[in-house]
Amino acid sequence: MPIIDVHRLEKTFPIKKHRTGAMGSIASLIRGDNGGEFTAVNNVSFKIERGEMVGYIGPNGAGKSTTIKMLTGILVPTSGEATIAGLVPWEKRKQLAQKIGVVFGQRTQLWWDLALIESLELLRHLYRVPEERFRENLATATDLLGLGEFLHTPVRQLSLGQRMRGDLAAALLHDPEILYLDEPTIGLDIVAKEAIREFLITLNRDRQTTVLLTTHDLDDIERLCPRIIVIDHGEVMYDGQLASLKSRWGGRRQLIIDYAGDPDAAIASMGNGDMAVTEVDGPRVTIAFDRDEISAPDVLTRASAFGEIRDMSIQEPEIEDVIRRMYDGSIPAGM
Amino acid sequence: MDKPITLREELGIAWKIAGIRLRGQMAYRTSFWLQIFGNFFTNFAEVLALFAMFYQFDTLGGWTLGEVALLHGISMIAFSLGDLLTVGMDSVAPQIRSGDFDRVLTRPLGSWMNAATSEFSLRHLGQALQGVLVLGFALTQVEIAWSIDKALLVPVMFISGIALFMALFTIEAIFSFWTVNGVEAINAFTYGGSDLAQFPMHIFGRSLRFIFFWIVPVGFITYYPALYLLEKPDPLGMPDWFVLLGPVITTIFCAVVSWGWNQGIRHYRSTGS
Amino acid sequence: MYLELAKRSFQQQFAYRAATLAGLFTNSVFGVMLSSVYLALYWDKADGVSVAGFTAQQTVTYTWLGQALIMPVVFWGWWLIVDTIRTGTVVMDLLKPMDFFRFWLSRDLGRAAAQVITRGVPTLLIGALLFDLVWPESWQRWAAFLISVPFAVTVSFCLRFMMNLWGFWLLDHRGISSIMLVVSGVFSGHLLPIAWYPAPIRDLLNVLPFRSMLMTPVEIWLGQISIVHGLSLQLFWTTVMIGASYALLQVAERKVVVQGG
Ligand SMILES: Nc1ncnc2c1ncn2[C@@H]1O[C@H](COP(=O)(O)OP(=O)(O)O)[C@@H](O)[C@H]1O
Ligand SMILES: [Mg+2]
Repeated sequence: MPIIDVHRLEKTFPIKKHRTGAMGSIASLIRGDNGGEFTAVNNVSFKIERGEMVGYIGPNGAGKSTTIKMLTGILVPTSGEATIAGLVPWEKRKQLAQKIGVVFGQRTQLWWDLALIESLELLRHLYRVPEERFRENLATATDLLGLGEFLHTPVRQLSLGQRMRGDLAAALLHDPEILYLDEPTIGLDIVAKEAIREFLITLNRDRQTTVLLTTHDLDDIERLCPRIIVIDHGEVMYDGQLASLKSRWGGRRQLIIDYAGDPDAAIASMGNGDMAVTEVDGPRVTIAFDRDEISAPDVLTRASAFGEIRDMSIQEPEIEDVIRRMYDGSIPAGM
Repeated sequence: MDKPITLREELGIAWKIAGIRLRGQMAYRTSFWLQIFGNFFTNFAEVLALFAMFYQFDTLGGWTLGEVALLHGISMIAFSLGDLLTVGMDSVAPQIRSGDFDRVLTRPLGSWMNAATSEFSLRHLGQALQGVLVLGFALTQVEIAWSIDKALLVPVMFISGIALFMALFTIEAIFSFWTVNGVEAINAFTYGGSDLAQFPMHIFGRSLRFIFFWIVPVGFITYYPALYLLEKPDPLGMPDWFVLLGPVITTIFCAVVSWGWNQGIRHYRSTGS
Repeated sequence: MYLELAKRSFQQQFAYRAATLAGLFTNSVFGVMLSSVYLALYWDKADGVSVAGFTAQQTVTYTWLGQALIMPVVFWGWWLIVDTIRTGTVVMDLLKPMDFFRFWLSRDLGRAAAQVITRGVPTLLIGALLFDLVWPESWQRWAAFLISVPFAVTVSFCLRFMMNLWGFWLLDHRGISSIMLVVSGVFSGHLLPIAWYPAPIRDLLNVLPFRSMLMTPVEIWLGQISIVHGLSLQLFWTTVMIGASYALLQVAERKVVVQGG
């Protein structure tokens, strides 16, 4: 049984029609705002198995956060169903909270005025974590996330990266089965990002924690998520392996060849449909080719007719490009 | 830990959390006492007014200073403790507006309990202390023939009074799930209600009595218990057993508020980031 | 220019319709409640008997005047200047080629004028509908009362202004806030008519400036004080308070300049 099972989930927000005055607010209190509706999440379905690490990606305003909020029980959906670890989030919110960890990149779960360790202590009571388990988890987190240097600093004085690491530790104190991360690396420097990625990989490997992660940073995806779900305008556009997304729609790989001297000018018109020269820059030539049509050695052989080859490299398609093109609508949605 | 959390466990957790938060506040000891003192001072005016009125007049609606002080004491204690237990409610409205209310809903605690305890401060003890002093003064002025039923009435009276004010402080938060405008009108019922409960109900006109008995039942939390303790006949002509209506109506009121809170939670929209 | 500032904050006030209605409702509930309490004090007195100078009817009128003037005169919780200190705009305001005190005063008078219309008059009308109020007995008294309100606002403003400047030093206004509550709540006569307090307190409050904020206008309305006496008392205290505000402002300005902004 999938641990996350989402079926035709939909969330609409009323569009605020500005009503002024007390009569206006009383009226909207009684009748509700009826200035129309805006669909933030539309007919979203997916299943995630225990231990999976899934990237939930899409452009700004796609509906990622809204989905996560429904799956944690913060928002009640307009229609549709979801079962998380056997529970309907918005009906069994309290029970579910015990089984999930949530990290919102832009919002902290910690108390501003308390030292990090005090916040963690409070959460220990909130989640009824046994003293011993708490100490173990704290030790692990301190070890892997390097919390030691700022455990006793008030949260308000922490840097964004430190706070994020603190939040992550806080979300995992109670050994959740599922971890939701909404843009956990936003605004962080490379070092902090890397620490968090390493940590998530370890967590997922050692504890089989299921992770659902939204992000803008496609490096996060490349490092962490074998499977991605792409959403745009509230609708799922792709759900599957990252690798197959790349190979099926990633289009062309690129072969970059460095000639010993400038190659024959005729190279610019080499190829016919199966491959194409996209750039000639002195002795460096970039050739795009379709791996289903022609193999890399064949391309190389044909290119060697235009000069002496000194070096070459193959570039896989960039996930950024793939997804950008998907957003642009140049790739058909769905599978 | 698959069993749903019990109320007792929730209370235990809230208690522990309050303790930790309090220890943090005690660290700044002087400011802590200043807050309590400031609160005492701020609410001093009410007591001053009571004594000054009786400096010029002998009775208020036929009640003596001691009798009215009894009402003052009960109301102040119930109000301040109700306020103390719901300090966090004050920040619900801004949290809803900023979307920070999200985090209240990701905790394994009832949302109300979590919101109410999201902040904690003993500041209101200043007013409670004053209530105790006024009550003590009242008891030196009036004769109460104590009996078992009267002794039993006292805790019931305080508990329903505190619960009622907690519910009242929750209402403002509930409204803010829907609207940000004009929510302050509720002050007429919270602060107005606590002021009103400091006086015998029969001095008020029909419409105020209707509102504060049957809609916001603060009238029941001081007036009928005081009549019962003092063995005064009700000038409004209601029978003795009206004293029992207080807890009943408070229970109904709290149930309605709790329903409203849950509706509010379901209506919570968070904010687009 | 100051007139322009006043006009602008006058107009701003009309934007807050929901808050206005909510406030009117609250003022009215309190007005009815307090009137009932005061009337109950007179239950065992014969009609028209006055206690410490107030008949029952006068006390009720005093109550509604007090409710009507809550917003225009402002008896508590006004920390706009402290807020600009926190946000830092205060430095820019101080550097502008204008008088800092008059800058704020003109805005406050504009606000007050608007709130006399949106809050004061409606509250008083509600009071008049529900209770039998005393009205000024001559057009001269009406005029005198209308003059005494801006004086009341100005004295209140000076008090608030100085309390806010005090915030320059303390940076946290919660402590001052409770002092302010007592000074303007009790000393102005808003809580109870000053004449009702025991002699020593009453005599003290009568020689402090704060009664100009409410008690003196009420006495002018009720005819308990001669017009000339009432207004000259207010004029005197307004002058003193403005002088004190400027003195404190000078000290504060020096402090801001030293801090370097
Ligand atoms: N509380 C809300 N009220 C109104 N509109 C909202 C709310 N939350 C989100 N939205 C709208 O729904 C859409 C999806 O938002 P969100 O889920 O936050 O997107 P993402 O996280 O993918 O950037 C956006 O257009 C956003 O403006
Ligand atoms: Mg988002």
